[in-house]
Amino acid sequence: MAHLAHYRQAHPITFVITHWVNLICMVMLVLTGFIIHYPFIPGVMGAARGVHICCAFVILLNLIYRIVAAFFVKSAPTGGTREVEKDIKSFLPQKDNRHQLGAWIKYYLFLKKDHPLGAKYGVPQKLTYDAIPLLLLCIAFTGFCLWVPTSNAPLFVGFTDLVGGIMNVRIIHYFLMWVFIIFIMLHAYLASIEGLAPLRMMFRWKEHKGLVYSPESHTIVGEDKGEEDNKEKS
Amino acid sequence: MVETQANVARLDELLERKGVTRRRFLEFCGAIAVSLGLSEALIPTVHEAIAESVIGKETGALTPVIWLELASCTGCTESFAQVDTPDVATVVLELISLNYSETLSAGAGFSLEEAKEQTIEAGGYLVVIEGALMEGWDGNALRIANEKGTEIVKHACANAKAVICAGSCAVDGGWQAGYPNPGGAIGIQSFLTREQAAGSFTYKGGDGNLPPIINVPTCPANPEHMVAVIVDVLLVGKLPDLNSQNKPSLIFSQYIHDNCPRRGHFENGEFVYQFGSEEEKKGYCLYAMGCKGPQTKNNCPIVRWNRRVSWCVEAGAPCIGCAVSDPATTKNNWVDLNAPFLKRFRNLNIGDIRLQPATLAAAVGGIAAVLLVAHAFGMKATGRTKGGADFERQRKWDMQHPDRAIASAPAVTGGASEEDNGTPAATAAENEESKADSKEGGTQ
Repeated sequence: MAHLAHYRQAHPITFVITHWVNLICMVMLVLTGFIIHYPFIPGVMGAARGVHICCAFVILLNLIYRIVAAFFVKSAPTGGTREVEKDIKSFLPQKDNRHQLGAWIKYYLFLKKDHPLGAKYGVPQKLTYDAIPLLLLCIAFTGFCLWVPTSNAPLFVGFTDLVGGIMNVRIIHYFLMWVFIIFIMLHAYLASIEGLAPLRMMFRWKEHKGLVYSPESHTIVGEDKGEEDNKEKS
Repeated sequence: MVETQANVARLDELLERKGVTRRRFLEFCGAIAVSLGLSEALIPTVHEAIAESVIGKETGALTPVIWLELASCTGCTESFAQVDTPDVATVVLELISLNYSETLSAGAGFSLEEAKEQTIEAGGYLVVIEGALMEGWDGNALRIANEKGTEIVKHACANAKAVICAGSCAVDGGWQAGYPNPGGAIGIQSFLTREQAAGSFTYKGGDGNLPPIINVPTCPANPEHMVAVIVDVLLVGKLPDLNSQNKPSLIFSQYIHDNCPRRGHFENGEFVYQFGSEEEKKGYCLYAMGCKGPQTKNNCPIVRWNRRVSWCVEAGAPCIGCAVSDPATTKNNWVDLNAPFLKRFRNLNIGDIRLQPATLAAAVGGIAAVLLVAHAFGMKATGRTKGGADFERQRKWDMQHPDRAIASAPAVTGGASEEDNGTPAATAAENEESKADSKEGGTQ
């Protein structure tokens, strides 16, 4: 039993909602994307394209909101604490994580027995989350190269010519989708392999007791396991 | 004055002599107007322009044309010979003076080569190039009249008014540039660009620019497009609107898919999955059969082929994207980019391996899934699935660098019951410290 406590401060409700939006949009985009690539379900091509484009805009707006909110909404920078600071700090280098990349990789490769200390996001996790917005922009860009209403804009024509035509843009768009599929697999796996508490937090905003971590001393300072504690603090 | 050049008489005499009625001539003007993307209201203008600027002159020179046939199947010439309105005789005899064409010229051999030479010397001519230029074996892959094709092209283009690349081969090498391209097929635009950069080609009076190049891809070049472009150059005296690849933008700005007569079936999700099926009989969309209409820009569904009788998709075959071309390189020729024709994706060429992108992606995804499952067994075996492993007491780096460590090992490790989360007031105070801390941390 070595979890840090999961408090709502780590994932404010607004980010629980953006996470839901991301999940729904990504699943719909991947599903409709496969249908558009090859219509293995007949009869739904028009709907699939409509949903695909709609979800693309929703996820882009959601991304913009998520990035802007990171600068205004406060969240806990580490697990096991209710202290908050600007959410964007969790996506930048943090003291708690410094020099820990090697430790995390070793831990996941079973070369290290004990769990690395870190901030809310482990180092590989943080790098991945930083890459996701960029990947989203890339896949959206290639999508706009393919979508007829935007495909003739000079910016998109330039990229299409650069990579040698629409066929190659389609393949890039398709491969990027697989990057997201593999990300979703990895993300769901790592979030749930050490217990379902993180899922309960992210989907149902349910707290979970556990070790207490101090962002000041950058180490574990105790354990929160009482009902009465919970009432007192929230 | 070039001896071989045709002269013109008055319009009426000319039409009469050719047995063309006035009504037929107006139809021709209408076809031109439509091909140029003009409204039908402008037919009289086109009529006037032709009468004034080309035919109406009492006497005078017609624009000479040199039609070079490089490595080609003569399909573009054949296709051109099938053009309906104006028929090929009209174009050849009334609008232009075709001074050199291997297939259509009556003359042959030395005299024809001399006619070409005289035309080039006089200047002011159009060059139409059909077929790919071959650079293999030091340019000897293509020799005409005992001369290398590379030299012929440079010579003919150096003094031309404009160069029209007819068909995908002349645009970017076409299917002849398909992997592995042993003959060294190349499109005219990238050849001239490279030769000019290397200093071995200069366009006379071009101030360092290439001659105007109009790329008219498709395999073969659609005769209606060819007539429209030639007439555009002759009538308006300037190039048609060209896109970033020097293709006439009126013709090559919309996808075949956009104007396809089977588009309704696409939107309804009604597809042909197999030839010989009920769906095929019903004329459903050929998307699932690998139709390249959604990524090929051309106006085939509107202009159609063979005197506007039909075209590929209307005849029941998926589009194979023969108009896809990229004058900047031979790598994106339509065969390499679209084969296999009945699949939704092209093949990826990795060395000598050919495979479908979907196969590659699914294989990588499958490997990732297998690795995760294997990893999960590892996690289970090491007892980490119930809350993970116990936390380390101190970061290893901190242990090795005590002077620069961010945290020392706590006196009490995880599992102890000591509460240190603080009251709200204490938390706020600590928060301030933590901010200061992290600022310092950020500068390191």
